[in-house]
Amino acid sequence: MKRMGINWIGLGTIIRREWSRVMRVPIQAFVAPWISALLFIFIFGFVVGGRIRLIGGYHYITFVLPGVVMINVVNAAFLQSTSQIYFQRFLRYIEETLVAPLSYVEMILGALSMVVLRSFVTALGILVIGLVFGAVALQSFPEFLIWIAAVAVIFGLLGIIIGLWAKNFEQLTVFNVFFITPFAMMGGAFFTVSMLPPWLRWLAYGNPFFYFINGLRHAMIGYGEGSEIFGASFSLLLCAVLGVIVWRLFARGYGLRE
Amino acid sequence: MPLMTPALSISHLRKVYRRGTVAVDDLSMTIAPGDFFGFLGPNGAGKSTTIHCVTGIATVTAGTIKVFGVDAVKDYREARRLIGLSPQEFNVDPFATPRQIVEWMGGYFGMPFAERRRRCDELLDRFGLAEHQKKAFRELSGGLRRRVILARALIHDPKLLILDEPTAGVDVELRRDLWRYLQELNRDGTTILLTSHYLEEVERLCRTITIIAKGKIARQGPKEEFLEGSGLEDAYLAATGAEPDHIAGAA
Repeated sequence: MKRMGINWIGLGTIIRREWSRVMRVPIQAFVAPWISALLFIFIFGFVVGGRIRLIGGYHYITFVLPGVVMINVVNAAFLQSTSQIYFQRFLRYIEETLVAPLSYVEMILGALSMVVLRSFVTALGILVIGLVFGAVALQSFPEFLIWIAAVAVIFGLLGIIIGLWAKNFEQLTVFNVFFITPFAMMGGAFFTVSMLPPWLRWLAYGNPFFYFINGLRHAMIGYGEGSEIFGASFSLLLCAVLGVIVWRLFARGYGLRE
Repeated sequence: MPLMTPALSISHLRKVYRRGTVAVDDLSMTIAPGDFFGFLGPNGAGKSTTIHCVTGIATVTAGTIKVFGVDAVKDYREARRLIGLSPQEFNVDPFATPRQIVEWMGGYFGMPFAERRRRCDELLDRFGLAEHQKKAFRELSGGLRRRVILARALIHDPKLLILDEPTAGVDVELRRDLWRYLQELNRDGTTILLTSHYLEEVERLCRTITIIAKGKIARQGPKEEFLEGSGLEDAYLAATGAEPDHIAGAA
């Protein structure tokens, strides 16, 4: 087998194509999560925030906003990758890349790059809104970017798997309804673990979202309830395991080739 | 690379789909470089499946495929650089414009920006798409859509052009124009594999013909051999197991 260098132009073209596709629906892709963040700031910062006692020494909106960023990043990453793969399969234009001299790794990297880009734009928009309205702080920008990128990759890879597996639009939403939404809500976005009765705390500690939100909250306001080292290691492990699964599925042609 | 390396060499190809359907069984054929090759057969005979195995849209169950001597499975990236495919169905993003569709394909093939733009302009002009280049693909007529698919297949100047029913649903004018263009390309050295249900088209353009039926080669040879006797249509019907009209009419 002959070795060939990375097809950088091909990789860049996948990203350009996906950017063009996302920019056909900018309100759905970017404006919706930003408006949702604005509403959170208005409701939890100005309407009910004053009536809620400080959490960990922070105003409620300051405590909640990292969770809001994370939930929106998870949704952006997952929607980007599922829709990207599923629509390519559904409309068969996945064949454009299958007949081209692109390796599986380049196809996966192209898809993930766009997932990370969309997640960054979503997260940075909410961060700017939060900073402008004085609702949040930023302790470490590099740490913030690393958490956004890691979570985007994890949910981008999960989205690729669902996008390859789904046979119809209903199946695309299954993972979101039964996994993402309940786990995100129970992952400590809106409460601290200490608010839960001791017998229910496993719901947070056994929930991957808890570590994602905990890591991002630490990067933004310096507050953390769990171990960032454990969270980072767990996230890296998830990236590696999911990456291998997606690579194997592409190599087998699962959901891609007849 | 040796001078007479076949443009396409398929050896004992077998394709079984996941549900057990055998689409192609022990199919072997060779296309000489520079040939204009007609690949005929009834619907479901295995033509598109064979093409999909060659281009990477389908996985190969058994057998080998070489494109100008390059293994299409082991060295798939190198093999794919040599092939341009115009598929039977419109496999494009319907919201993208003709320019995007053609230009992105050039990008996937690793063409640098300036070369991609020049070639894209050339093809959009050649196929009369320049004035439609900013419309969404879904807004185009059937004939214009077919031209976009052809332009996309040619963006990287492939050595082997595979056309799966390229004139299905297009008007006579475009069909004639396309024939002229394909003949020009073939004269300039591009090897062409054509599948079509229009036997007149095959008779006019191709030099070699292979007929496939039920996943197996039924007959192959130079066009002249098919034209001897009562013509290509009867030869086709005989090879595929169908009854020629004049025999059916006499019964």
